[in-house]
Amino acid sequence: MIKIENLHVEVDGNQILKGINLEVKAGETHAIMGPNGSGKSTLAQVIAGHEDYEVTQGKVEYLNKDLLEMDVDERACEGVFLAFQYPVELPGVNNTYFLKSALNAQRKYRGEKEIDAMEFMDLISDKIKLLNLKDSLLKRPVNEGFSGGEKKRNEIFQMAILEPKLALLDETDSGLDIDALRIVARGVNTMRKKENAIIIVTHYQRLLNYIVPDFVHVLVDGKIISSGDKNLALELEEKGYDRIIKEAKA
Amino acid sequence: MKAKNAFADDFESTLTLSNGKIKDLRIKAFEEFSKVGIPTNKDEFWKYSDPSVILNLDFEFNDTGSTDEDDYDVVLVNGKIVKSVNNCKTGTIADGLLEGYLDENILGYKENPFMNLNNAFAINGCYIILEPNTENEIRILNLITNEGRQQAVYPKFAIVAGKNSNSSIFEEIRIIGKGCNFVNSVMDFIIEDGAILEHTILDDFAEDTYHIANIWVKQGKDSNFISHNFSAGKRLARRDFNVELLETGANCELNGVYLVDGDNHIDHHTTIEHKKSNCTSNEHYKGILDGNSRGIFNGRIHVHPDAQKTDAIQNNQNLLLSDNAIIHTKPELEIYADDVKCTHGATVGQLDDKAMFYLRTRGINKKDARQLLMRAYVGEIIGKINNEKIRTEMMETVLERLPKGGE
Repeated sequence: MIKIENLHVEVDGNQILKGINLEVKAGETHAIMGPNGSGKSTLAQVIAGHEDYEVTQGKVEYLNKDLLEMDVDERACEGVFLAFQYPVELPGVNNTYFLKSALNAQRKYRGEKEIDAMEFMDLISDKIKLLNLKDSLLKRPVNEGFSGGEKKRNEIFQMAILEPKLALLDETDSGLDIDALRIVARGVNTMRKKENAIIIVTHYQRLLNYIVPDFVHVLVDGKIISSGDKNLALELEEKGYDRIIKEAKA
Repeated sequence: MKAKNAFADDFESTLTLSNGKIKDLRIKAFEEFSKVGIPTNKDEFWKYSDPSVILNLDFEFNDTGSTDEDDYDVVLVNGKIVKSVNNCKTGTIADGLLEGYLDENILGYKENPFMNLNNAFAINGCYIILEPNTENEIRILNLITNEGRQQAVYPKFAIVAGKNSNSSIFEEIRIIGKGCNFVNSVMDFIIEDGAILEHTILDDFAEDTYHIANIWVKQGKDSNFISHNFSAGKRLARRDFNVELLETGANCELNGVYLVDGDNHIDHHTTIEHKKSNCTSNEHYKGILDGNSRGIFNGRIHVHPDAQKTDAIQNNQNLLLSDNAIIHTKPELEIYADDVKCTHGATVGQLDDKAMFYLRTRGINKKDARQLLMRAYVGEIIGKINNEKIRTEMMETVLERLPKGGE
C-alpha cells in the first residue's frame, strides 16, 4: 500500500528523518516506536502532507502513485488519514457540519454523490456508539472544550466515518486512561480489514496490548534501527530504548 | 471648492421646498455646515478617510427615482419615501416635526459637519413611531439608484421606540445603477425607558460611491439597543455610531462584520457615552480584508463621572487575507468614574495554519477550508441576532459575500 524509500526530511534546516525505509501492505498493522525526538511524529506528518517539512531525498509510493506529489487534501481523498497527537480546536465550526463536509469532499473526489441527511445521521449514530462519545459533542464546535480523552476519541470517530485506506495514529494513546484506551482500541480494531493498513506511532507498548501489530519498528535519530514482530515491543518495554539502541549498534 | 458651491447651489434651489419652521431649521443647519465645510484628513477624526476627495467631483442633489420592490415595509429611493407601513405612524421628517412626533433637536446642531449637511437637506426622510408597549418588525429598503450622474443623496431616518416597546428593524442599503454617488445618511434613534430595539443593517458593495453614515442613539432608563452592522466596502465608506446611555440601567450591544476587497475602503468610528450608572455596553466587530482594501476601526468608550458600575466590553478582530490589505484599529477609553469595569482588545491575524492543515487532512480542499474557517469566524457575530428570521437571512446573505479568492 505504501512504500517509503530512503526518506530524508528537514524542518527549518534541521534534518529529522535520515533515510527511512518502510513498506506497509494492505491488511497489515505496523507500530513505530521510539524515544522522544526520534522523528516518529515527523514521519506521520510528512505522510499526511504537512508543508513545514521538506523532503530532501527519497520517495514515497502510495497505491502506485507518488504520494509526495499530492496536496494534503488530495492524500486524504486518496484514503490517507492522520489521527492527530494534538487535535486542533475549530471555534465556530460545528462538529457535524465539519464531518459532513469532509465526507462529502471525499465522496465528490471519488465521483460519488453527496450523502443524504438521513443516511448521514444513521452513519453518525452508529459510529458514535462505537467510540462511546456523547451526542452533545456533535453539536459543539470541533474539539472546542473537549477533554483530552474526548479529543482523541473524536479523532478515531472521524476515522470511523471517513473509512481511510491508510490510517496513521500519532500517539493516540497519550493522555488516555485505561477505559478510554480500550474504547479507542476497539474502534480501531473494527476498522482492521484486509484492504486497509494502519501505522501506529507510540512511545509505549500499552496500546499494542489492545491493537496487536503485525510489525514493530524502532525509530531512533531519524532511522529505523530495528524491526520485528509484536515481541519487539515487549522487549522494548522490558529493556528500555537505551539497550535496544546499543544492541542494534553492536 | 466648486463642490462646496455646488452644495450651496443645491441648498438654495431646494430651499423653496420647505417653509416656516422647517425652512428656518434647514437654513440654520446649512450655516453650521458652512462654518466648517467638508473636513480633510488633517483632522485626526478623519485621518484615514479623507472626505475632501468628494470636492473634486460635481455632485448634484437628487431625490427622484423609483422601484417596484415589494418585500419591504418602508422603502426610500434616493432618500425619499415611496412606501411606508400602515401599522405605525410614519411620514416625512417635516411631517413628524409639524405634527409634534419629533423634537426640533432632531435637526439641531451636531458636532459632525455631515450631520448638519444632512439636516440642511431634510426635505424628505422618514420618521417611524413605535408605540409604547407594542411589538414591531419593520423591514426598510434604503435604495440608491443612479442613471449615470454624479448625485448627492441624503437619506434620513428618525425612529422613536416608545416605552417598553419591543422592535426589530432591518435596514438594507442597496446601491444600483451607474454613475457616482455621494450618500450622506443619518439615522436617529430615541429609545425610551424600558424599550428594546434590535437594528440590523445590511450594506451593499459599491465601487463608485462615497458613503458617510451617522447613526445616533439616545437611550432611556433600562432600555436596550442591539445593533448588527454588516458593512461592505466602497470607494470611501464611513459609518459612525454615537450611542448615549442617558439613564441608569441602559444597555447597548454593537456587533459588526465588515468584508472588504479590491481597492475598497471601510471606516467605523463608534462612540459610547456612558453618562449614568449601571449601564452596560458590549461591542464586537470583526473584519475580513482582502486585496488592496483598507479598514479602520476606532472604538471610543467614554465613561462620565456619574457612570459608576459601568460594564463596558469592546473587541475588534481582523483577518488580513492579503499582503496589501491594511487595517488601522484603535480602542479609546476615557474613564472618569472609579467603580467601573472596562475591557478592550484588538487582534489582527491570518487564517490559522494549524486549522487549515487539520481541515485539509480530512479531505477538504484549500478553498473550501478557507471558506469554512471564515464562515465560522463571521458566523459568531451573525449568531448574535435575536430575530430568528433575520439571523437566518443574514447567515445566507453575509456568508455568500465572503471573499472567494486569495491564497
